Amino acid sequence: MARNRKNQAAEIRFGPVLKVVLLCSLIGGSAIGYVWQKSQIDRLGRQISECEIKLKQTKSDNKLLVDQIAFLRSPVMLDHRVKELNLGLVPAQPLQVVRLVEAPPAPEQDSQRQFAQRPVAGETP
Amino acid sequence: MNNKLQIRRAALLLVLLGAAYAGLAYRLVDLQILRHDELSAKAELNTQREFRQAPRRGDILDANGNILATSVPVKTVCADPSLIGAQSQAVAEVIAPLLQLDTSAIALKLAPRSFLVKNSDGEMVTNEVHYVRLARNVPEPTWARIYAALTNFTFGTEGRKLSLKERESLHNLQWHSIFAESDQLRVYPNGPLAGQVIGFPAIEETNLDGHFISKIVGRDGIELAMQKQLSGVAGWRVTETDKAQHEMVALRDEDVSARDGLDVVLTIDSAVQHIVETALADALQKHTPKSITGIVMRPRTGEILAMVSLPNYDPNHPNTVSPEARNRVITDVVEPGSTFKIVVVSGALNNDVVKLTDEFDCEHGHFAFAGKILHDHEPYGILTTEGIITKSSNIGAAKIGIKLGADSLYKYALNYGFGQRTGIPLPGEARGILYPVKDWSKVSIAQIPMGHGVAVTRLQMLDAMCAIANGGWLMQPMIVSRLQEHDGQVVERYTPQRVRQVISEATDKQMIEALKTVATKDGTAAEAAMKNYVVAGKTGTAQKAENGVYVSGKFVSSFIGFFPADDPEVCISVVMDEPKEGYYGGKVCGPVFREIAERCASYLNIPADPSLATNAPALLAATNSGKIQVP
Repeated sequence: MARNRKNQAAEIRFGPVLKVVLLCSLIGGSAIGYVWQKSQIDRLGRQISECEIKLKQTKSDNKLLVDQIAFLRSPVMLDHRVKELNLGLVPAQPLQVVRLVEAPPAPEQDSQRQFAQRPVAGETP
Repeated sequence: MNNKLQIRRAALLLVLLGAAYAGLAYRLVDLQILRHDELSAKAELNTQREFRQAPRRGDILDANGNILATSVPVKTVCADPSLIGAQSQAVAEVIAPLLQLDTSAIALKLAPRSFLVKNSDGEMVTNEVHYVRLARNVPEPTWARIYAALTNFTFGTEGRKLSLKERESLHNLQWHSIFAESDQLRVYPNGPLAGQVIGFPAIEETNLDGHFISKIVGRDGIELAMQKQLSGVAGWRVTETDKAQHEMVALRDEDVSARDGLDVVLTIDSAVQHIVETALADALQKHTPKSITGIVMRPRTGEILAMVSLPNYDPNHPNTVSPEARNRVITDVVEPGSTFKIVVVSGALNNDVVKLTDEFDCEHGHFAFAGKILHDHEPYGILTTEGIITKSSNIGAAKIGIKLGADSLYKYALNYGFGQRTGIPLPGEARGILYPVKDWSKVSIAQIPMGHGVAVTRLQMLDAMCAIANGGWLMQPMIVSRLQEHDGQVVERYTPQRVRQVISEATDKQMIEALKTVATKDGTAAEAAMKNYVVAGKTGTAQKAENGVYVSGKFVSSFIGFFPADDPEVCISVVMDEPKEGYYGGKVCGPVFREIAERCASYLNIPADPSLATNAPALLAATNSGKIQVP
């Protein structure tokens, strides 16, 4: 028995070593993965927070610009500017406006007729 | 022997370890199970924070989407004086110029102080003040400058030379002593334009668990009437923060966004409103009345395009609002005077009691009835029904009223909407005064047809005239067109509402024919006539009553008209209270009507009346009359 043990001790058992390495890798990998995941969550959280601040700022800037446009387009402002710049602009008088009345579509007399078709001899087009 | 001793020692150790583990296990059970609720609540208090998300108040827009009222994000700058210590003067010198406030006043607010308060055991204890408000409505860029200035604040010596306590104190001062709360400021980009229609806001503060929550609430006009729709619903976020009070987004729990208030789109057209306001401002200068009002309405729909009452106010400065600047169009009642003749004449025509060609003796200006003498402003003899409208004869109208009868006159006045609110969604609308027939005196049947003995709002009178311009149909006045989300998605649309048909279409045509004669050289409002449109309207000059007695020299003058008379697009009312430099409605209000009408016609692109298009080039005149069609 002793001899056998002696002989056995000299051999390298790859199986258990591999198992231990695998187990350690698994535990170590899981731990690292867990930390990495937490770090990612934290990083994404910060990114979300930054994006939210940016979005809020952009919305605020947009609102400021919209308000500015509204102010510049307001009739009071336009009237004031016209007077200030002395442009001599006056509203058009009703008789200065030409109204175009859309003609109704002409009734189709001969639906078979092609526009490119030449009139038959003797027939008025 | 040794073995036994070892076993005993091991057993003792085992017992001790077992007891220790049992103790730990008990503690674990105690903390995790028995006291779970209590401790988890404590832990939550330490880590969890709840943030309220204030909703944005909706905008008020005109019919074309122009902003009349909007909310701008601003900051309320606050301070914790307990973190400032002896540096109050130095900090005040940094932030006061940025806030454009007095340095000494700010320094006084920043000075640490304490106050006595009773604790839960009823003992008096000293508490430090941790919250003072320095300034409201601070623009965001200004707050950014304050923040930057504070983070660069020093004690005048290098950071490394400071003691640990001093360093901590500086850190607190730089980052935590001055802070800002998000707020909103209501802004009206057009200043006083349509101020009384829009209304003005006030800040209402509520204390929620020690936190002050400010909210904008309307105090007048649409701001008040549509408060619920404009204000929106607050949201909240339950989350956790780190030591520096930065949110840990991954640990965010409840997150309910605020629901912003809806935008209210009015029927008011700010360009038309501006036209009316400038015309009335000129008239106010010329005739210096106590007040002047103007309304523009579309008769077919009841949409109000402009509503002006001068003096007015700028909603950007709510502290300057005075009772004189109320919206008199709906709040004040006056005797309408001759404009009320449209009620009696249209009623009599509708009941076939009279015809337009029937003649009445106007008694040369003096008519004794029920012990009173009725007067005309001119001594008229025989006038037709149409002539009574043209010349605005009081005696003629009284005789038509007598012929129509009290019950019918009352019924028509009621059907035209007098004595009851129009239902316009603006606060403070008056009913007017229309007594039931049983309360009439003997002379009432002759007085009411000439517009005395009844009191109406300017809006009621205009609405009645609009009914005549609209084939006899009375419309409910509209001021709100729709409610929409901020992105333009319509939530609710308000449609024109017919109230009732007061007179038949045939009667209506006759009334319009009669009213067309008012703005002619023979009528009482020649000055209201327009160059390119036929105007139908009626003047009114009512003597004012004070303490139950008519006062000489004080009048309410008015002109209400619509155009083009045969296809009415807009109906305009101009009313002056105690005008100087003339007092007849046609003389003082007629020109103002014409100015408003001509500018509105141009802006609204209303086609010229073909019958008046004499000065137009041949092609244009033909086009307008429909003879030539331009493809």
